[in-house]
Amino acid sequence: MALKALDIYKLLPKKNCKECGEPTCLTFAMKLASGKVKAEDCPHLDEKVRELLGASTRPPVQKVKIGVGERSFTVGGEIVLFRHEKAFFHEPGIMTVVSDKMDADTIQEIVADVRDHLMVRIGLDLRMNGIAVCSEGGSPSAFGKAVEAVEAVADLPEVLMAEDPAVQEAGLAVCGNFRPLIHAASHDQYREMCALAVKYGCPLAIRAPDLGSLARLSGLCAAGGASHLVLDLTSASLHEVLNSATAVRQHAISRTTPALGYPIFIDTRATGLPDAALICGVLKYGSVLVADAVPKESRKAFLVLRQNIYTDPQKPIQITPGIYRVGNPGPGAPIFLTVNFSLTYFTLQGYLEASGFDSLMLIVDTEGLSVLTAVAAGKLSETLVRDSLKQFGVPDLVSHKTLIIPGYAAPLSGRIEDETGWKVLVGPRDAADVAEFLEKEWT
Amino acid sequence: MTMQTLADWIGEVRSVTIGATRADGGTRTGTVTVGGERDLSFVGTPPTGHRPLIAYEICDDRSLWPAPVNRFLGDRSSDPGEWARWAGQEYAPDLIRLFLTSTRKRGFSDPASVTSTVESVLQATGLPLIIEGSNDPALDSEVFRRIGEAGEGERLLIGTAEAGHYRSIAATAMAFGHLMIAQSPIDINLAKQLNILLREIGLSYDRIVIDPYTGALGYGFEYSYSVMERIRTSALKGDDDLTMPMICSAADSLTVKEVREADPSESDRISVSWELYAMLPAAIAGASIVCVRHPSTIAQLRAGIGALWSSPGGGA
Ligand code: B12
Ligand code: SF4
Repeated sequence: MALKALDIYKLLPKKNCKECGEPTCLTFAMKLASGKVKAEDCPHLDEKVRELLGASTRPPVQKVKIGVGERSFTVGGEIVLFRHEKAFFHEPGIMTVVSDKMDADTIQEIVADVRDHLMVRIGLDLRMNGIAVCSEGGSPSAFGKAVEAVEAVADLPEVLMAEDPAVQEAGLAVCGNFRPLIHAASHDQYREMCALAVKYGCPLAIRAPDLGSLARLSGLCAAGGASHLVLDLTSASLHEVLNSATAVRQHAISRTTPALGYPIFIDTRATGLPDAALICGVLKYGSVLVADAVPKESRKAFLVLRQNIYTDPQKPIQITPGIYRVGNPGPGAPIFLTVNFSLTYFTLQGYLEASGFDSLMLIVDTEGLSVLTAVAAGKLSETLVRDSLKQFGVPDLVSHKTLIIPGYAAPLSGRIEDETGWKVLVGPRDAADVAEFLEKEWT
Repeated sequence: MTMQTLADWIGEVRSVTIGATRADGGTRTGTVTVGGERDLSFVGTPPTGHRPLIAYEICDDRSLWPAPVNRFLGDRSSDPGEWARWAGQEYAPDLIRLFLTSTRKRGFSDPASVTSTVESVLQATGLPLIIEGSNDPALDSEVFRRIGEAGEGERLLIGTAEAGHYRSIAATAMAFGHLMIAQSPIDINLAKQLNILLREIGLSYDRIVIDPYTGALGYGFEYSYSVMERIRTSALKGDDDLTMPMICSAADSLTVKEVREADPSESDRISVSWELYAMLPAAIAGASIVCVRHPSTIAQLRAGIGALWSSPGGGA
C-alpha cells in the first residue's frame, strides 16, 4: 500500500541536512509520497527503511523508457492484472532482431523496414518499435559494427543483446547516449553490467534461472544504482512464459514482492512459435518483445490486437461530433449521418473517399457507440439528430434537405423524418457499398 | 524453484462432455470434455481442468460463408458431409460445428433437409458435433426438433440461444438429451440473466455453454476479450450462474475490411492470422472451445494452445 507523507516523515532521519536537495525532511517526505523524488535520494536512510520506502512509494510496476526522441517508448507503470479493472497503459514495444553475423546491407534493409512500416488505423499510427541487435560471435568489434549499421539508417530504440560486458560496451560506445536497453545482467556479471547501465544512463534487462533469484538480482542491481530494470522471462515453453509473467504481475501489483515490480521482457524466438508468443506477450504482461522480422500478414493482426488490448475499456476511441468534409463538397453534396465512434467514422470516411463523391459527414454524439450498438442502446435518436442538425448549422451548408442514414439505423427513419422535417434516405448497411448506393440514388 | 502465482480462487468451471460413443448410446468415435478449470487459463503446472479445444466450422449453404474460405475449399464446401469428413481427416479439429445456414436464407421451405444434412454429417465424421440451427421464430420449433431427433443419443451441442430466442433450443436439449449454447451480447450481466432464465425453465446448468459473443479483431474483440476474463474470474470467485465453459468463434473475422480487401495471393495467410490472433487470445481469456473457418488456422492454433498448455518435463 502507498504510504502517506506523515508516515514517511516518521521514518526519515530528520536531520534536515538538505543533501537530498529538499529544504527539510518534511518536504522530502511530501514529495516522496507523491512520487516526485526517490527514496534513494536521501543518503542517510538505513537499508531497511530505504527498501520499505522505495517499494511503497513507486508505482507497482516501474516505468522504463527505452530510446530517445520521437520513436522512444515507455513501458511499465501498470496498475492492474486485468484490463477491465481499469486499463493497460503502456503497450509493449516490438523489437526486430538483427544479428552481428548479418552483413550491413541486410541489417539496413531490416532497419529501414521497421522504420518505415506504418499502419494507420482509426486515425492512429501503428508501428513496429525498434531493433534488437544480437551478438552471436562474441566479438566486440563485430557487435560495434552491427550497431553502427543500425544507427546509420534510423534513430530507433534499440536493445543491445550481449552478455559479455566487453561486447556490450562496444555497442554502448556507439549508441549509449540514446538510451538503448542493455541485455542482460545475470548473477555472474551484474556488477559490470550495472556499472555500464549507470555510466551510460541506460535501462538494464536482467536474467536469472527462476523468479526467486531474479528478485534477488533486481535488488542487487537497484542497490548498484541501476534502477530502471526489465525482467527477462524468456523460456522455451510458452506455458512457462505465461505462468512466470502472470506470477510477476501478481507479485508486483499486490506489492507482495516489490523486487519484481518491473516491466517484462520476452524473446519470442525461444519458443519456436513466433505468432503465439507475440500474442501471449501482448495479452499477458509483456513490455519488450523481441522477434525475428514479423511477416507482413501477421504484422497487421499483431498491431491491431495490441491496439485493441491497450485501449481504455471504459472509453471507446471517439472523435468530436460535428461536420466533416470528404473532398470538396458544394451545397448540393450528399450528407451522411453517422456516430462518433472512431472506428465507424474512419471506416465510413475511407469508403466515401474511395467513392469519388464529394460529401459531408454529420457526426452525432453517441458517446462513442457504433451504429448498431447505439441503436440497440437507444443512444441514436431522432431528437439527437434534430439537435445536431441545428447545432452544427447544417441547413446553411447545403441547398437540399435530404439526410442519408446508416442502413442499421433504418428503424429510426420515419421518426427522424417527423422530428426534423428532412427527407431521409436509408443507406446501405455496409459502408463498403456506399459508392454503388450513391451512383444509384444520388443524382 | 519457480515462484507461484498468487490468486486463491474458490470456484470451478463446470465440466461438460460433448458427444456420445456407442457405449453411451451414440455413434461418435470419441467424446470431448471441457471445463474443470480452477484457475486462469493455462495457469498452474500442469494447468487446471481441460485443455481448450478447437472446433472447425462448416455450413450447408456456402453462399453465406466467407469468400476466402470458399475460395480455398473450392467444391469441397458444397457437400457438408464430405466437407466434415475431409476436414476431420486432414486437419484433425476436436469438434465439427455445422451451421445450417440454409435455414437462414429468405424463403427457406425445406425442413426435411435439416434431418438429412445432420444425418449425413453424423455419418461422415466420428467427431463430436456442434449444430447451429435457424434464427427465426417461425422455423425454430421444427428445425430444432429435427436436429434433436436426428442426433438423438449423440449428446450434441446445439445453438444458439439468445435472450429473445431460446425456448425451442432449450426444449430440444431437454427432450433429446443435448447440450446448448447461450449467447449474450458482450455483457456479463446479460450472460448471467440468460443462464438463470434457462434454469428456470428446467434446463440444468451442466447443459449450458456460454457464448459471450465475439467481435472480430479490430471490430470489438477487446470487449469480448474482457467480458470473457470477467466471466472466468466470476466463476473462479464462485458465482454459480457463470460457471459454464465458454465457446468463442472467429465468425466475423473473415469478413472484416483487412481480410476482404487483402491481395488474393495473401488472402489465405491474412485469413489465418486474423483468426489466430483472435482465437488464441480467446483461449487465454478463458474460452474452452474456440472456432475457426479457415482450415489452415487449425494447425497453428493447436500448436499455440499446446505450447501454452504444456511445459517441458511438466503436464501433458
Ligand atoms: C463492440 C460491441 C459492443 C461494445 C461497444 C462498442 C462501441 N464503441 O460501440 C459494447 C460491449 C459496449 C456493446 C454494448 C452493447 N451492445 Co454491442 N456490439 C458490439 C459489436 C461486437 C461490434 C460493434 C462495432 O464495433 N462495429 C463496427 C462499426 C464500424 O460498425 P458500425 O458503427 O455499425 O458501422 C458500420 C455500418 O453501420 C456502416 N455505417 C456507419 N455509419 C454509416 C452511415 C451511413 C450513412 C451509411 C450508409 C453506413 C454507415 O459502416 C460501418 C462499416 O460497414 C456488435 C456486433 C457487430 N457485428 O456489429 C455488437 C452489437 C451491435 N451489440 C448489440 C447489443 C444488443 C448491445 C447492448 C444493447 C447489449 C447490452 N449490454 O445491453 C449494449 C448497448 C450499449 C450500452 N448499453 O452501453 C447487438 C445489437 C443487436 C441489434 N441488432 O440491435 C450486436 C449486433 C451484437 C449481437 N448480435 O447481439 N457492444
Ligand atoms: S537528505 Fe534525508 S535527512 Fe537530509 S534533509 Fe533530505 S530527507 Fe532529510
